[in-house]
This record gives sequence, C-alpha cells and structure tokens, in this order.
Amino acid sequence: MLHPRTPDDIVEIVRDASAAGSPLLAVGGRSHIDRGNPSPVDAELWTTQLDGVVAYEPAEMLVVVQAGMRCGDLAATLGEHGQEWPVDAPEHATVGGVIAAGVSSYRRLRVGHVRDTVVEMEVVTGDGRIVKSGARTVKNVTGYDVHRLMTGSLGTLGVITQLALKVRPLPRASRWLHADGGLELASRLLAAVPQAGAIVATPESVTIVAEGWPEEVSELAATASRVAPVDEIAPGSSFPDLQAPTIAEVAVPPSALGAVLDGATSWQAPLGTGIAWVGTDNDMLEELRERASAAGGIAPAIRGSGGLGGTPVPAVEVQRRLKAAFDPFNVLAPGRGWGRI
Amino acid sequence: MADIDAATRDLQAALDPDRVLIDPLALRLYARDASLVEGSCSIIAFPRSAEDIQACVRIAAEYGLPVVPRGSGTGLAGAATPIGDALVVVTAKMSDILEVRPADRLAWVEPGLPNLDLANHLRPMGWTYAPDPSSQQTSSIGGNVNTNAGGPHCLAYGVTSAHVLAADVVVPDGSTVRVGSEGPEAPGYDLRGVVVGSEGTLGIVTRVCVRILPAPPSVRTMLLDFATVQDCADTVTDIIGRGVVPAAVEMMDQGIVRAAENFAHAGYPTEAAAILIVEVDGLPGKVAAEAREVEEAAHAHDVGTVRVAKDEAERALIWKGRKSAFGAIAQIAPHYHLHDCVVPRTKLTEVLGGVYAIAERHGLIVTNVFHAGDGNLHPLFSFDRSVPGTLERVLAASDELVRLCLDAGGSLSGEHGIGLEKRDFMPLVFTEDDLNAQACVRSAFDPDGMMNPQKVLPDGARCGDFAIARAGTDVAAEAATSLPEGSWI
Repeated sequence: MLHPRTPDDIVEIVRDASAAGSPLLAVGGRSHIDRGNPSPVDAELWTTQLDGVVAYEPAEMLVVVQAGMRCGDLAATLGEHGQEWPVDAPEHATVGGVIAAGVSSYRRLRVGHVRDTVVEMEVVTGDGRIVKSGARTVKNVTGYDVHRLMTGSLGTLGVITQLALKVRPLPRASRWLHADGGLELASRLLAAVPQAGAIVATPESVTIVAEGWPEEVSELAATASRVAPVDEIAPGSSFPDLQAPTIAEVAVPPSALGAVLDGATSWQAPLGTGIAWVGTDNDMLEELRERASAAGGIAPAIRGSGGLGGTPVPAVEVQRRLKAAFDPFNVLAPGRGWGRI
Repeated sequence: MADIDAATRDLQAALDPDRVLIDPLALRLYARDASLVEGSCSIIAFPRSAEDIQACVRIAAEYGLPVVPRGSGTGLAGAATPIGDALVVVTAKMSDILEVRPADRLAWVEPGLPNLDLANHLRPMGWTYAPDPSSQQTSSIGGNVNTNAGGPHCLAYGVTSAHVLAADVVVPDGSTVRVGSEGPEAPGYDLRGVVVGSEGTLGIVTRVCVRILPAPPSVRTMLLDFATVQDCADTVTDIIGRGVVPAAVEMMDQGIVRAAENFAHAGYPTEAAAILIVEVDGLPGKVAAEAREVEEAAHAHDVGTVRVAKDEAERALIWKGRKSAFGAIAQIAPHYHLHDCVVPRTKLTEVLGGVYAIAERHGLIVTNVFHAGDGNLHPLFSFDRSVPGTLERVLAASDELVRLCLDAGGSLSGEHGIGLEKRDFMPLVFTEDDLNAQACVRSAFDPDGMMNPQKVLPDGARCGDFAIARAGTDVAAEAATSLPEGSWI
C-alpha cells in the first residue's frame, strides 16, 4: 500500500511499477472498488493524501480539487456557498474515484452525468508522464478531451491527480414524495412531471424527488398528486440502497427497461435515464445481462464480484491503441476494463 | 504525386459522376470554410449514404489523398479548410431525420441536417434539441458534433457533448464503428466523448443519435439595457450569485446592437452601452422565481429598462436581433473576423476593456457579442480586406487578443474549435507531454494521419510511444512482451 503525498510521488511510483512490470491499482475511498473485471495487482496506490481544494471561485461555478478529496468534504466546502457537485456518492468516496468509476447519480434525469461536470483533468499516465487536458472554463473546445477517456476508465489509463469540476447552485427547496405503484405509475409520473429531480421506481413504490425553487417544488408536488395519491416522506440518503450480494447497473434505452426488469424482484430505477439498479446474484446476473444486451445495453456489476460482463467493445482496435499509448507496460489495473483490454 | 484522375474515376464509379466535382470553380468554392484562410483541394465528393462515405475514405486511402469532412462549411477556425490535394467529403446531401423516439428521448439524424431544421421538426411534437449555435440556420448537426458546438442555451443545458448519445463513424481504415450508445452508458472508453469536438480528424460521422428533451412548459425572455458595460457585467455576476442559472444570458455592446437593430428592428435600445438578453425556462413557478431574481439583480445595477417579451412573436424578434448580429455587421464593413475566447465570467469587463484597446491600437472597428453566462466572448473585427495592410493588422490584433484571453485565465476556444487558425497557439496552453498524449488519441483512430491533417495539433506533436514502438528499439521489445494478449503490436 503506497501513500503518495504529491503528483511527483505518484509519478515515481508509477514509473517504478512500469519499470518492474508490477501491476498497480489506484484507490481512493474504495466505494466503487467492486466495479470492473478482476485485476490482481502487486500494490495499491492510495490517492487520499492528495485531498485539498486547489482553487474555488463560487462566482465562476467551478472548483479545482485534488483527486483524493472526499466527496463529503467537497460537499461541505461547496455547501457553504450554496453550491453542490451533483453526484450523490458516499461521503468517504473520493472525487477521483467517482470520476474513474463514472458513477451515475439517481438524480441523473435533472443533473446529467458526472462526465459532463469535468472540464479539466491532470493525470499520471502508466509510464509516468503528467498530462493535462481541458481548461478551467465552463466551455472549451481545445484539442482532444483526454479527460473524457479517463472518466469511467476504472483507473486503467492513468492515475487521476487533479480535476476542475463544474458545480451548480443547491436547490432552494427539496421535497420527497412517495406513491404506491411500480414502473407503470412511474412512467405516468415522468410524463406529467419531467422536471422532477428524480422519479425512482421500485417494484411496489415510486419516490419523487422534487427540487428547485419553492414555487416550482409546490407545482411539481401538486401535479404529481393529480396523477396518483402521494405522501410526503423524509428525504432518503441516496439510491441505490438495495441489500443484495450483487448489484448490477442496467443501462439500456429507457423504453426497454420494462422488458429487461421483467421477473426481477429487487430493483430501483431512476426513470427517464435508462438506468436501473438490480439486486441479484451471480447466477441470475448472466440472464439479466442477456436481456440488457438484447435491448442494446449493458449490465455491469457495481457491487459484488460479477465483473463487467462480456459485451463486445466497439472499435476494439482503437481502444487497444489507447491503452497501449497511455499504459505501455500494462501496469494500471491490467484486465480491469471492458474487454479486458 | 497522387493520381487525381484515377481517384476521380473511382469516386465517380462508386458514388455517381454528378456527385464528384473537379471543376475549377468548385475547387475554389470548397477551398475554404467561414474562416479567413483559403486552402486547396483536388476533388469534392457528395456522399448520400454511409456506404458512399466508406467508399470515399477507402479510395482516398488508396490514392494517398488527405480527407477533409465538411458539413455546411460554416466553421470559423478553418477545420473544414482543405489543404494540398485533399478530397473534401461534403455531407450536405445527407440531411434526413431518420427517426424520432420520444420514449427513449432520442432521435437519429443524418450529419448534413441543419441544426434549426431539427429544432423546427421537434417543436410541434413538444420536444426540443438544446444546442442552438448562432449559425443554426445553416450549420449541420455533423458539424456541430465535430466542433462540440455551443450556443446561447448551452448555459443551462450544456454543450453538444451532453446531447450526443451515439454516432456511427467511418474511421480511416474504412470500417464503421458506433461510438456511444442509445442507452445511457457504452462499454469501453468514452470514444464518443473524444469524437465530439474532434474537428473532423478522427473519422466521418454517418449518422448521429441526439438527445431530445421535453420542451419547457414556460419561458420568459427579458431585454435589459445598461449605461455602462460594468453595470451589465456586474448584473450577470449577481444573477449567478443568486443561484440562478438562466437558460441563456447574452450580452451585446453598443456597436453590434446598432447594427442588429438596423437589420432586425427588434426595438433594441441603441443608446445603451450594453444590453443583456436573459431567458429563463421551465415550470411556471421556476420561471417566475428566476425572473424575479433577474429583475432584482438588474435593478441593483442601474438597469435602464426591463423589457419582458409578451408573446412568442416578441420573443422571436428579440432573438432575431441577437442571432442575426454577425450578418448585420456587414453594414459596417465588407469583411469580418469573428473571435472566440472564453474567460472566467468575473473577468469579462476587464477583458472587454482590453479588446477595445487592442482594436484602437490597430485602427480596427470591433463590436462584441458574448455568451455572458459562461464567459464566452465573441469580438468581431470589421474591415475591408481589399485595403492594403488591413489583413496584417487584423491578424496582429487577433494574436494579441488570444494572449489577452489566456492571460486572464481563459482557454483558446469556447466553441469554434482550434482548426487551423489556433493550431499554433496550442503550445501556449499545453505542454509537450499534453500535446503528445492528444496525438496518441488521434493516432489511435488514424495511425496514418489521413483525416484532416495539419489541423488542431501543431507540427511536432507526436504519440511518443507509437514512435518508439515503430522504431523497434529495446524499449519497444520490452513493451511488446508485457502488452496484453491480442494487442495490436
């Protein structure tokens, strides 16, 4: 277990690993460590000592942080200025880990995907070069967005050291509503209130998260209640909160969700996104993956040992060249990524 | 020396003779996009299908011709300016909307489809496609993808990248790959994320899967005028500080307001130093709350008048003025050079002062339009190119302008891209390692460098590891033994 303090420490560690051909895994809060295919390594590189805010200008709606900063600490810093980085990850998760894992928030319908919040990134490549891409501005078209390749790459292309993130104002008001019903009711609610922060369906219930200006939240609640009886409930912490040895994250075109979830008994789906978290076990996982695949999607495990699944990776030659370019000695979590590239 | 005649014959056989041009007028017309640079090409082809595009790429590779994809040619950085004996592949004849699937919140379109045509098609269905660059009447979706186009409504909704789910791309080896997915996630590295904004250097898009959104139920458009630029910019900062992210915040200075008003007759206040167009949308409660905050912010900074569009017609008129600004500029002088800089929002006033100073120093007329909400500045130099020495002054002023923006903490391009125009500025913002890494991304798709060469990356940017591997050194041998099974080496 290695605990670098600076990007230069990381460079040294990675260079040594490459020279020795010794596989390495970058870890942060370990919140998303189950993601990916099995990848035996000789050492873990902990990013958690690189945990500070580098720059924060609330008026710019941008924050620059070191990759090892904990999401809870970031939320506290941003919260003091009425802002948030909308990812809904566990408090002890690190920013770099959330990005490397490409985590989807249950509020994705309204806040979008985490990949669109990263505007600049610094990484250490597998052969120990420091590479920066993007810029500290909210809009930028300057060369190739290497940071987009790094997002969701599960640490197989580089060790993320620093990120500039777009942040947004915290909603002024937030109410959670509950209705009895399942996917069908949730779909009707989505059609009625597409402006909701989230509409999360389970086999027997629907949770509506109404966020925004107080007037807006009242309107959302009133409209929802015209579709079905709703009760106000205390805000929950987050989704998914399933108890199961394996949780798969189904990702399919939204209209296919019903068919993919048919027969599953333990799931939570933020409607409108095509995502559903399914509590399952490794035996059922393959069948779930077949249904997701038939719908043109995927179902990697996000908890448990189920791995990513065998969906063929498009443009596999391009993907291999990228891996070879950024990690020529294949020491960064070898085999962890899709297609075991 | 490439055999242009043989290449032409093969293209004519593969597409059909009417869709392959080599006459001198066509070669001249397609030698440039909307930027200042004029290039050259040897053949222009108009594919109608993905198969046609594959044929173009295959034939170009066979004859050693560089390939330059082109949508509507409205690009401002020279990304679609061909060089040498390039084959220009124009997608303008592939302009169909293939399918619209509201249940999946997506639509598949052909790359040559003008952006506004898509928006107009979706509107009666109650849906919308958010990215709305000013060029949208003409610019194509494929072009928007390649420049990661912005537009006024990207402030709240995000740039093109957030609205492209997938694309089918013919890559340089002639095969077609799908980057991204109709679903929310795709397996593997985010190739979709690097294709968007790649300025035609990674492949040619044959169809695009865009994200569509339910049209907002309510919208309010306000026109605010100010006696000083500072008041105007401070209002923008205040709005953001109140936790409001409007759908659009556009700023225009006096020079461009006067030109736009002369053309559009939108009732713009021509005595104001600067005006703001602020639009908020969403549920009525949100719109009311945000409009209230905007008006309070404006009054706190000495706004002249707050004009609220009372109906769709008035809203359209207010936007007409803004969206026709670049054309209206022709009243001032026959030529213009439109710039694209992004700076931190809080530096807008300071940078604008610098812009006026640069213009004065070089004896040029400058007017300004900005996506004020995200610090994206578009200074326009107006001039007459036929007057000797003018172009040199414009280029010198442009150079200073880029440096001014970078010194203020900005980036090289907000939405127009690097193309040819800003290629040689790249070393000002990236190190050699940064640029070599970008070269690796490019050569992963295009190992032989046939797609739009000489754009985006300056000479000298090289994917170092590939160079090592090809040279067959000891390092390469070592690398080869430790690469995963099945690697390309």
